[in-house]
Amino acid sequence: MDWNVFQVLLWLIAGLVSFSFSLGNARVWTSIAVGFFLILLGELIPQAIPYLPGHTIPQIQMMGHIIGTIAILAMTHGFQEYYVFSKTLEMEGRRRYVYLTTAVVVCASLGFVLINPAPTADTVRLVQVVENTNWVFLALINLDMLRKIYLNVKGSPIARGFLAFMAVFLFIFLWKGSALYIQVYGLDHLAMHFPFRYNFSLLVGHLGSILASLSVGATFLYLARLLR
Amino acid sequence: MIILPRGTPVKEHLNPGRVQLAEALLKLKNNGFSGYLRFLYPAGEGLVVFADGRLISALFKEGADRHIGEAALLRIFATAFGGRGTLDIYRLAPELAESVYALLQGEVLYRAQELKLIDIRTFLERLKTDRLSGCLRIYTSERVALIFYRDGSPLGFFHDGASQIETSADVSMSVARLPGAKLDVLTSGTTPETIPGDLLSYLDVSALWQAAKEQAARTRRERQEEQKRSRVRQEENLRAAMLEMLREIAGRHIGRIGPSLVEKEFEKLPAGAPFESEGLATFYSGLGRAAKLVAGASAIKAMILEMQQGVAQHLEAP
Repeated sequence: MDWNVFQVLLWLIAGLVSFSFSLGNARVWTSIAVGFFLILLGELIPQAIPYLPGHTIPQIQMMGHIIGTIAILAMTHGFQEYYVFSKTLEMEGRRRYVYLTTAVVVCASLGFVLINPAPTADTVRLVQVVENTNWVFLALINLDMLRKIYLNVKGSPIARGFLAFMAVFLFIFLWKGSALYIQVYGLDHLAMHFPFRYNFSLLVGHLGSILASLSVGATFLYLARLLR
Repeated sequence: MIILPRGTPVKEHLNPGRVQLAEALLKLKNNGFSGYLRFLYPAGEGLVVFADGRLISALFKEGADRHIGEAALLRIFATAFGGRGTLDIYRLAPELAESVYALLQGEVLYRAQELKLIDIRTFLERLKTDRLSGCLRIYTSERVALIFYRDGSPLGFFHDGASQIETSADVSMSVARLPGAKLDVLTSGTTPETIPGDLLSYLDVSALWQAAKEQAARTRRERQEEQKRSRVRQEENLRAAMLEMLREIAGRHIGRIGPSLVEKEFEKLPAGAPFESEGLATFYSGLGRAAKLVAGASAIKAMILEMQQGVAQHLEAP
């Protein structure tokens, strides 16, 4: 089986599990689960492009990266809400507003892409760098936030779920971090000169992506079990 | 207890809280009443003696405390406003009323002597030898008789239903023959010449009544405030105990965040009736909603069930 297809399949499972989790649980999980579900779209679109009609359309590639960026923003927002709840015990908002807002942002992004000139390969690469940068730094921020949440809810049935999320973000950091490293140093163009660095980064990226997709699905299943 | 024969009843078993006592005393004065008014309250006992319309004695005994005159009247009036007590009014001949006064001023030489253990003949001879002025009080739980003496010689007898000193010893002796009869020996504190004037002639009894009324209102207010404070204290103690129990249960079921969630929902309980079913239902529902963020339905259900049982036990406890 193709490496990319395998990863897409894993993200498909993780995305479906997280989306179904967002439906049946407390409102605070909606942003987090929707964020993880968006990874599926963000990953599925660029990874599956070779198998889809219209894979040459740059707007679709660009939308994949934009949705990937929205994904990490949405889940960070969700963990931030959870952190605020664990500190203040206050919780606001409604589930449908989260879905609606996410849909509006995605549609607005699509509109933005469509009203602008067709993105060149450089533009798509730049947007991908922005996406990976967001993922890397927000993954680090989320790791710290999850540590604090864990300390606040220690002893509760769900507490260990946050340790699992920390593992998820560690894998995400490795996955997106290695991709960003390759892009920032242009290692994909200089692979001939730095084969070890390039191949090692690629390996870490693939491994990170697989572990991230596996751990996301497993974490949500674990959470569902904890919250039974 | 002030033990006296009942005399001729004028009124018995009145509620002094429903009688305008100041007016009643003035009315008795104007009618030239002779006799006594006995007030029995849970807190003490009062006695007001009239002779020919003159209020010659007011006494109020409250445990070991003994109030006389103005202070006694004030206590009698104030206690009457409590609403729990009885007032009996008995008519006596003026000289008997004065004798009763003298008795109240005197001292008790011997108290509650079992009559069956006393050699009466020897005892009476001793009274004669000692030239006792006072009286012998013979009584059971139901009946009382007094035998007055002056300088060791008997003056006469006073027993329940009589309004004057009698010379016949029949009734008095019949009390002595009753099972369990006891004897007090009292000396007389005054002679007829030292009987005081009319207390009502120099006391403003209406002002005293008003003062007692205000004092009673003040006491009632203070009692109500104390009851209120006590209720608030009890409620606070109950709230604190309840909160501690709920915090402990929540901590066990949903971890470190549990006690904080309990505190937050607990603050929303209504102050007046915090543990009524409606308030508690809101509490459990709010807590359950918040707990959903950290625990599953089964853990929350078990926690709330234990809380409900704990609350019920706390509310049932005396």
